Amino acid sequence: MKELGLYLGCVIPTEQYGYEMSIREVLPKFDMELVDLEESTCCGAPLRNVNMFTTMYLSARNMALCEKKGIDLYAPCPICHLGLIEAKENLEENPELKAKINSKLEEEDLRYEGTIELYHTLDLLHDEIGLDEIEDQVEEPLDDLTFAAHYGCNTIRPNDLDRPDDSENPQKLEELMEAIGIETEDYPEKLDCCGGQVISDHNESALTKAGEKIEAVQNQGLDGLSTICPWGHRMLDSKQDSAADTIGESLDLPVMYYIQLLGIAMGIDQSRLGLELNLSPVDKLEAIESIEEAE
Amino acid sequence: MSLIDLTSMAEPDEEQQEKIEETLEGLKEDIPDLCYQCGKCTSGCEAFILLELEPHSIMGKSRAGFIDELVNSDEIWTCMQCFKCQERCPQDLSPVRVIFALKNLAVAAGKEIPSGYQKMLQSVLGNGLIQQPKEVLNRANETRKREDFDLPPVPEPEDMDKVQQILMKATQEKLR
Repeated sequence: MKELGLYLGCVIPTEQYGYEMSIREVLPKFDMELVDLEESTCCGAPLRNVNMFTTMYLSARNMALCEKKGIDLYAPCPICHLGLIEAKENLEENPELKAKINSKLEEEDLRYEGTIELYHTLDLLHDEIGLDEIEDQVEEPLDDLTFAAHYGCNTIRPNDLDRPDDSENPQKLEELMEAIGIETEDYPEKLDCCGGQVISDHNESALTKAGEKIEAVQNQGLDGLSTICPWGHRMLDSKQDSAADTIGESLDLPVMYYIQLLGIAMGIDQSRLGLELNLSPVDKLEAIESIEEAE
Repeated sequence: MSLIDLTSMAEPDEEQQEKIEETLEGLKEDIPDLCYQCGKCTSGCEAFILLELEPHSIMGKSRAGFIDELVNSDEIWTCMQCFKCQERCPQDLSPVRVIFALKNLAVAAGKEIPSGYQKMLQSVLGNGLIQQPKEVLNRANETRKREDFDLPPVPEPEDMDKVQQILMKATQEKLR
């Protein structure tokens, strides 16, 4: 049993409940014990725009909470994962900054050393658990479906920091989908941004980015799009209707977290995977129970 | 520095360069010194078409010392933080990091920042997260809360007042 500190960040525990539910449901079946970091806060990454010292302090604080438990950290949000890795690298290169941050952490009896490993959903599933183990646990392969992948900008970039997959030709999410029976296709817009990080101040532009990406996948005739980023999922699934209105097209593309798809293929009770909260029309896929059936 | 300084730009001004480096929080490797304005960053920029962000022009202006102009501009707030500009720069520079540094300068100078970031900061000072737990809809248009799903409470520091005090001081600090 591998123990991991579950670091949820902000968007997951405050609105993307389906991601959290499926994580809590699926990962223990792969011998992972998720330990909650009850006192965690924002990773600090969104505050890079305001004050980078604050970003470093918050990142170090969250990692220190996990270090105190003596376990590695799992951040299912790529923005958090990137923010934490960036802080880790910065603090390693800059002992003076590390000392300054630690003097602030001391006030809460915390200390940041920089000893823990960081995981995201993508490398945790693909590299730690592995495709073979995933295939072994599939009870009902999701045959007859062709999906595309949305990685999320911060999952793959920038490549001067340790990211879970290649920056120009990521394939791990496709391989994970194939392991549960789903066929995959690339599409020209695969590496493009969903607009999620400017939604609060440039609403229309952000929704246009999301809408155009959904439209591209839909026009390619694919059955759906799989995500591993809560910000991306919010744009492509939760806000799909608003995105459709913004670009003036009709969009009806099923969008699902990969870990929800995995849970379904493993035969897990679908009501435990938060599927009712996917606002895109996921129930047009045969494998998905409609809300009434799930109840 | 303002437009008038264009007249003294014929000679490389090392003192000026150092000042820019220092102002941009010691981003030595990302300083636009080596930018030769190829425009690859802008051609791939996610915010270029919709919001007219031109990373190469930000690099050019920073190099020329127009830091104040940039700090006062709206364009630095249009970056989608996708990191494509850095990924594709043939000189291994990072426009996105220069833009972060410029935004930090704007905040430190007390400029009015976009309301989204103000709200985020206020929320973090409140309970540590950029937004409060939300009621969401399911596909049948029914309202759902976190508590409806058998999930543990949202994480929050035991002594949020103390964290808030530390954060208030932290936001006044510079990185280096």
